[in-house]
Amino acid sequence: MLNLKKYCIIPAYNEAKTIVKVIRSVKPFFNKVIVVNDASSDQTLALAKKEDIIVLNHIINRDQGAALETGNQYALDHGAELIVHFDADGQFLAKEINDVMAPIISGEADIVFGSRFLAKKSNMPWFKKNIIMALARLINKIFLGVNLTDPQSGFRALSRMAAKKIIIENDGKAHCSEIMHKAVKYNLRIKEVPITVIYYNFGQRFSGGIDILKELFLSRLIN
Amino acid sequence: MLQQIIALIIIAFLLARQFLAKKKGLISNYEFIFWLVFWLLATAAIILLKWIDQAVASLGFSGTGIEVLFYLGVVVLFYLIFKLRLKLEKIEKDITKIVREITLNK
Repeated sequence: MLNLKKYCIIPAYNEAKTIVKVIRSVKPFFNKVIVVNDASSDQTLALAKKEDIIVLNHIINRDQGAALETGNQYALDHGAELIVHFDADGQFLAKEINDVMAPIISGEADIVFGSRFLAKKSNMPWFKKNIIMALARLINKIFLGVNLTDPQSGFRALSRMAAKKIIIENDGKAHCSEIMHKAVKYNLRIKEVPITVIYYNFGQRFSGGIDILKELFLSRLIN
Repeated sequence: MLQQIIALIIIAFLLARQFLAKKKGLISNYEFIFWLVFWLLATAAIILLKWIDQAVASLGFSGTGIEVLFYLGVVVLFYLIFKLRLKLEKIEKDITKIVREITLNK
């Protein structure tokens, strides 16, 4: 299990400021790093192409969930056995990648979510931590049957089997809830590990939360 | 009475335009039939306004027939907007599929 083919997927939209630093920080942990440039209007694509990695390019912006699924499909087609989703904005710490991958490598879990609410401390804004996240947790629990400490974690690891089963259908930010919901639905072995998130800005806002709900609702109706 | 005549003239004008559009092949059969039925129902509602008033009153509504028709119109509009929203969502997903296909086949 130790020699799993590990892929890292980084969806990127206008992340020229941080993309190179993020790529270089994650590279030592993986066999392949895939950046999915989601039609950025800045230098993200050009900068990523200069690094020795795989760069996929969406010709139209399709949002984060869509970019992750494109990365997943590419990785699976090329034999990935372990996939890690990592943000391009530099909020996650590369040194925690091993912690997120460990339960899959040891065969203990099929999918691992990094949680900002376990032991480690993230400098999350108070309103977000105590109001928005609490609400999101409640909604996940009531409507999606998901009982995890971090309702919107973007730092996760999936085994090949989990990535094959979970096809991300929500193009926007609702993919976080969707992945958790499908992990529960397909009876995957789920584990949460503590991670640190560095907040440079507020990130997902309350209005963003409403958009996520709308997206989940509509996707239920058309699927 | 005058209002009803004006309404009927407007409908006749719109129907004439619709027939013209059909003749020029600007609208599909389905669309043509949908709007034909819609305007014919509107014509019937205008001609039978008194009867609708009575029917509405017998159903226990306090408003006049035209008011109830207006409320129903709003409900139908909401429904159509909702259907449109679903269709848009589906188109969005189809666009994503196409973009992904292009990305992965490059």
